[in-house]
Amino acid sequence: SEWDHYIIITDVHNSKLVKRRLVKLVVNFLFYFRTDEEEPQGALLLEQCRVEREDSLAFSITFLDEAERKYLFECDSQEQCQEWIDSIIKASYEFMRKNLIFYRTEIHRLTGKDPLEQYGIEDETRFQVTSGLQLMPKDI
Amino acid sequence: MKIHEKILTHYLSCTSPIDKEGYLYKKKERTSSYQRRWFVLKANLLFYQERPADRHLLGVIVLEGCAVQRCESEGGLFAFSMVFRGSGLKTYGLAAEDQLGQESWVKALLTASHCYLSLLVRDLGKQYEEAKRQAGPAESHPRTTVTGPGSMCLTQSMTYLNSCSSSFLMPGPERREGGSHSASNLLQAPPIPSKVINKRSPKHWPKRNAHVTPINGPAPPYGEWPQVEFDPLEDFTKLHDYYGEEVKQLRADWLKRRQEEEEHLEEDLIDLSEH
Repeated sequence: SEWDHYIIITDVHNSKLVKRRLVKLVVNFLFYFRTDEEEPQGALLLEQCRVEREDSLAFSITFLDEAERKYLFECDSQEQCQEWIDSIIKASYEFMRKNLIFYRTEIHRLTGKDPLEQYGIEDETRFQVTSGLQLMPKDI
Repeated sequence: MKIHEKILTHYLSCTSPIDKEGYLYKKKERTSSYQRRWFVLKANLLFYQERPADRHLLGVIVLEGCAVQRCESEGGLFAFSMVFRGSGLKTYGLAAEDQLGQESWVKALLTASHCYLSLLVRDLGKQYEEAKRQAGPAESHPRTTVTGPGSMCLTQSMTYLNSCSSSFLMPGPERREGGSHSASNLLQAPPIPSKVINKRSPKHWPKRNAHVTPINGPAPPYGEWPQVEFDPLEDFTKLHDYYGEEVKQLRADWLKRRQEEEEHLEEDLIDLSEH
């Protein structure tokens, strides 16, 4: 399929580790495979990380733990690069939660109604307006 | 498969909101006895450890494509299970100390998946557009559809995630689980062609998160997610009705049992008076 890209991943901390991997995005995880293998080699949770454009063909993901581990991803084209950046950002659960809270607040402001009431989930902790912190736009 | 544990533990301990936490009993795989564990639900991840203050994580369960079901009470505990369908996937047996705990955990777990949130956001996005249109001067935003690169079967990915994430206790070479699967199982039908993406300034909210495979049919299939076009509003309502039914059923069952208990009490009185 056209979307099975191989991306060159560099572990910036250890630049000797440059690998060409098949990368797949499922919910908020990024799986990477050695070529042709069925089982993924590894999985990265796409939360608490920062995605940045590095140059026309590459982007990076920095995980915001103590190690601040950074991985570079080199794509085949500019379009592919942008697609990946957009998709990874949008895949974050926290990012979606912020969107939800924004929509909930705005719909309530515009219509006077809480849109979550129709689903009976207005009291669920995870959808509360106080959830979700103010982060820098490029932080996830 | 290597799951980067540090990223998981960092996410657990960071300041993003915790959706639910508390003690639950977890069934041991082989002995079927229960062990008390501290559970933390954050996003679509269920972490567990021995005690709240522990630094060492015992495991993580990724909550995608699982059916959460109430079970018969066991040993005075209020049991429920998380059933993952698909080869190489298992059922997790959990239990709460009281009915309220059981109900609130089941409800929290039912609304925890990434897919659920994705549909909810999509649905609310549409309502927001509609509300704006009705409220002020028409500001048309062209619909953007972004197909995520690299699709993968959800069930398959859960097999890999959940089989290795519950083995934090056992460091060393990763266990390889599951039988052989052909490569084609991992790939889905050709994705929807993407449209031109509008350039937006960072402060604008994006309109869609469309890389999640849509669902089709009246009840959400917990296994495969067929790639078929659908009307998000209609199907989300169905999905929600389904989950809503689960919660309604829980409440109905609980009420029924209370009534039965009360009736039973009355019967006893009658029995006593007859002797």
